[in-house]
Amino acid sequence: MAEVRIDCMYETCPIPLLKALKQLEKMNIGDILILETDHSCAVTNIIEWAKKQQYNVDYTELNEGEWEIYIEKVK
Amino acid sequence: MSLYNRIIKKPWPYWVGGILLGIFNVILLTTTGQSWTITTGFLYFGAHILNIFGLQPSDWYYFRQNTWLLPGETFIRNYYTVLNLAVILGSLIAVLWASEFKWKKIKNKKQLFFGFLGGILMGYGTRLSFGCNIGAYFSAIPSFSLHGWVTAVFMLVGAWIGCKVLLKYIL
Repeated sequence: MAEVRIDCMYETCPIPLLKALKQLEKMNIGDILILETDHSCAVTNIIEWAKKQQYNVDYTELNEGEWEIYIEKVK
Repeated sequence: MSLYNRIIKKPWPYWVGGILLGIFNVILLTTTGQSWTITTGFLYFGAHILNIFGLQPSDWYYFRQNTWLLPGETFIRNYYTVLNLAVILGSLIAVLWASEFKWKKIKNKKQLFFGFLGGILMGYGTRLSFGCNIGAYFSAIPSFSLHGWVTAVFMLVGAWIGCKVLLKYIL
C-alpha cells in the first residue's frame, strides 16, 4: 500500500486531472494518491472523474484556497 | 450543509452557472445592445500599451478594417474594458467571500514558457476568429450566428488534441 503525493500547486485545469490520471496508471491496486492543488475547479473535476472510475475519493481544505484530494485506486 | 456552504463556498453545478450566464448575457444585450465578449478588450489593452510607447495601431490594416469601438470610445475607455474589469471584480468578490483568495506563483520556467506560448496562440487565434470561447461561441450561438457552431466544433477538436499533447509530451 504505497502513498504517492503529487504537487499541482499553481497549476490550472486540466493539468491536475491529467497528472492524476497519469500517476494512477502507474500505481497498484490499494495505493493512495494525494494531490495538492490550489485550483478550486480541479477539486470539482477530479472528484467527478474519480467517482466515475469508482475510486474511493475524499478531499479536505488545508488552508484558505488550498486542498488535498485523496484517491484510492480500488481496481 | 449550511446556506453559506451551499451557495458561497461550494462550486455551483455547471447547469446553474450556465443558466445564470445565459440570463445575464440576455440582460446585457438588451440593456447595452452588445453581448458579452472578452478578448476584444484585451486587444484594445494591447493597442493602448503600444500607443503609450508611441506606436499608432489605429493606422494598422487590422484596426482600419475592424473596429468594435463606438464613436467617442478609446483603446482604454470603452465598453470592453468595463466588462473585463467587472469580471475581475466579480471573481474577486466571489473568491474572497468563499475565503479562497490566494496569491499564485509561477511554478517553474516550463510553466512560464508554455504560459506565454499558449497566450500568444490564443491571442492570435481570437483575432482571426473575432473572439474567444465567450465572444465567438457563448455569445454567438444565441445570436443565431453560424460561426458560433463552427467555433464549438473546433474548440472540442482543439481541447482533445491539447489534452493528448499535454499528457504525452508536456506533463
